[in-house]
Amino acid sequence: VNARTRSAIGAVFALSAITAVAAADAPIAIVGGTILTVGPQGTIEKGTVVIRDGKIAAVGKGVSAPAGATVIDATGRFVMPGIIDCHSHTAIEADVNECSDSITAEVRIADVIDHRDVNIYRELAGGVTTINVLHGSCNTIGGQNAVVKMRWGKPPEELIFKEAPRGIKFALGENVKRSNYHPPGAAPRFPATRMGVEAVLREAFEEARAYKKEWHDYEAKAGSAADKPLPPRRNLRLEVLRDILDGKVLVHAHCYRADEILMLIRVAEEFGFKIRTFQHVLEGYKVASEIARHGAGASTFSDWWAYKMEAWDAIPYNAAILAAHGVKVSMNSDSDELARRLYWEAAKAVKYGGVSEAEALKMVTLNPAWQLGIDARVGSIEVGKDADIAIFSAHPFAPDTRVETTLVDGVVYFDRARDAAGTPMKAAP
Amino acid sequence: VRTLAKRVRVSAFLAAVIVAFPPATLRAADGVTAITGARIVTVSGPVIEKGTVVIAGGKIAAVGADAIVPPGATVIDGAGQTVYPGLVDGLTTLGLTEIGSVAGSVDVAETGDVNPHAKAWIAVNAHSELLPVARANGLTAALAAPSGGLVSGQSALIRMAGTTPDALTLKQPVAMHVVYPSGRPQPDPSRPDEPDLKTFEERQKEKKKNQQKDLRRLANLLEEAKAYGELLRSGGPAKPDLPMESLAPVARGEVPMVIRADAEDDIRGAVAFAAEHGVKLIIAGGLEAWRCADVLKERDVPVLMNVERLPARESDRYDAAYANAAKLRAAGVRFAIVSDDASQSRNLPYEAAMARAYGLPADAAIRAITLSPAEIFGMADRIGSLAPGKDADLFMATGDIMDARVSVTHVFIDGVTQSLETRHTRLYREFKDRP
Repeated sequence: VNARTRSAIGAVFALSAITAVAAADAPIAIVGGTILTVGPQGTIEKGTVVIRDGKIAAVGKGVSAPAGATVIDATGRFVMPGIIDCHSHTAIEADVNECSDSITAEVRIADVIDHRDVNIYRELAGGVTTINVLHGSCNTIGGQNAVVKMRWGKPPEELIFKEAPRGIKFALGENVKRSNYHPPGAAPRFPATRMGVEAVLREAFEEARAYKKEWHDYEAKAGSAADKPLPPRRNLRLEVLRDILDGKVLVHAHCYRADEILMLIRVAEEFGFKIRTFQHVLEGYKVASEIARHGAGASTFSDWWAYKMEAWDAIPYNAAILAAHGVKVSMNSDSDELARRLYWEAAKAVKYGGVSEAEALKMVTLNPAWQLGIDARVGSIEVGKDADIAIFSAHPFAPDTRVETTLVDGVVYFDRARDAAGTPMKAAP
Repeated sequence: VRTLAKRVRVSAFLAAVIVAFPPATLRAADGVTAITGARIVTVSGPVIEKGTVVIAGGKIAAVGADAIVPPGATVIDGAGQTVYPGLVDGLTTLGLTEIGSVAGSVDVAETGDVNPHAKAWIAVNAHSELLPVARANGLTAALAAPSGGLVSGQSALIRMAGTTPDALTLKQPVAMHVVYPSGRPQPDPSRPDEPDLKTFEERQKEKKKNQQKDLRRLANLLEEAKAYGELLRSGGPAKPDLPMESLAPVARGEVPMVIRADAEDDIRGAVAFAAEHGVKLIIAGGLEAWRCADVLKERDVPVLMNVERLPARESDRYDAAYANAAKLRAAGVRFAIVSDDASQSRNLPYEAAMARAYGLPADAAIRAITLSPAEIFGMADRIGSLAPGKDADLFMATGDIMDARVSVTHVFIDGVTQSLETRHTRLYREFKDRP
């Protein structure tokens, strides 16, 4: 049994009985729908998307379905790129955070992916095709993220979006200083203030610099000297921090207040690295120019507020203000439930601050793709990109809309009509 | 015929105005407002594609395609917009909470298990920043309810305008709030680290046993309250007992009991309990209400439910919670869609939209956040729809209120135009052009 057959069998298990998957090699044509490409082709009425080998092969109005193609009739429907959730804790069950230390850069979400989490399927039913699985926010440097494609039914290693650059979660503010939660029996842990958070970061990167130098010196000597110097002892934690200094790891920083956002920009710039995204970033609108100048993205909630002190100045206009200042903004869920309706979260940016519909759509597709460094692969319907597509019954922002079909890599992983015949609630073994 | 019809309408309008105004104040169309040329979603009647709503003396004076604009009325051009009755959020902690994690700003749950004499209308903060935020998206009334423990306390229906708790309160008490016992064992403080080595069956048995114990406790409280109530009527008890005094009308079936229950077993348990003790029941939560639509219909138990939740069981269809409302409607169960929140109360129309996307007809969806909760709380004569004689609690929006792109442009409460300014619009103005 070769790999392709195996994966086809897995998909069949995942979808009960599906004909589209059986013809894995045949091209797929999505015809008759309104295509919201989120790419240079804009919106195409009554267009066709042709998929070959899991990639988008052709998109356009005049494009016809190739001979032998499996045809998905999207007449009257809306076809958009699969939704990308830039802040998720799906598929890791309780293994969210290693809270015991302020810096746990060595731990990896990829090690604890639970491929049987039914929320993968439920989120597919909300049009989600890629998620950024992050640690919790109880420590300053939490651990390495995993970008996951929603290939429901596949084993953990096949869920990982392998081409996605490495990333790490930082956290600032109340959760880190444990303002609202004290684990029973846990000893007090530094930091307990926002001053302490800065100190933790600064110390961490001072150490990382020293570690980098140690290796650099060793390598310089090892290359030339006749006497074989002993290599420094490998430190998994510092190795990751060193890679951050070298720009090899995208930093996703949980934050709320304007001051802590400025603090992190200052520390990062001093040590010569970039923050890729500020997560939540509910007071981002107060320092939008600074975020834009640093070149970071903002991954925010549409309208959450008032649940804690640092969310008191949160406003639903955050996304609009940041976008107007040139920041790439995404709407995230941070929730297995909210993830299923991110399309309406994006719609709220139109209401609050008058973001254009085209720009709002980017906030759950192309912008989070950029934030995760995977925009060359996903985030829009363009020739050559992965065939990650969501088909809606109406415009994704409309109140009656519903996801009908979701494809990842050209494979139908969710189809409402098939679901009615019996939900494939268990992933393939 | 047309003139006659018009005359009938005019006299109907005058009658309504006369009802609304004491004759002395009828001099001119003082304080009369008319919204013209708007799409009108009346909820109690058919949608009027283009019509007029007349507001006078804090009441709705007329609604119709040909309703006459009284001379001197302030006219608001509603062309291209839609008028709705104010939204009613049937389960919230609005007014009782400000910042979730800041204990000093939260008055939702009392200590202890039995607090029937905790009354929401005592502590609703008329100056909460959350009220204008909810109001700016069309919400004009909400049930402010305490939570926690076994008997959480009594709720009040509040409106989103007023400067004192009394001014806010539309009706109190609306209901006694109870949490269906979870049956979770109390941790043994002497053996905190004792591992739980019980089997699933053992744990289920223990859960049922604990639940029965708490239900017996509740039943005893009701019996005691009944007796106390009778004592009150026959000359009064030796010394007042405030919890009993609060529970007595609940025990008599006069004030409804809202029981929070999500699981099928718990909902069925609550229905059986209410039937046995003559309690007028409302279910809150109701995640699995669709599984027990039969008994809810049979006993006419309404459900206060929020829609945007994950299914109760892993084996449920992904849309079990989304389709809950449509299933209840099909079975003839009464329900209101609620936010079950405070800061997220402004998103009530999108909860209804999700129910609509998964099978609930549009007219039933808007009803579930307006007239249905008003009916469940016995306030349908005053709020929940656009009909002559009702309180002028209404709003106008740029389109379908369940569309997340749509904005609210006007809100009236008691006929008075409300500011749409919020903490959020103020901060927006302050920072949007910061270089």
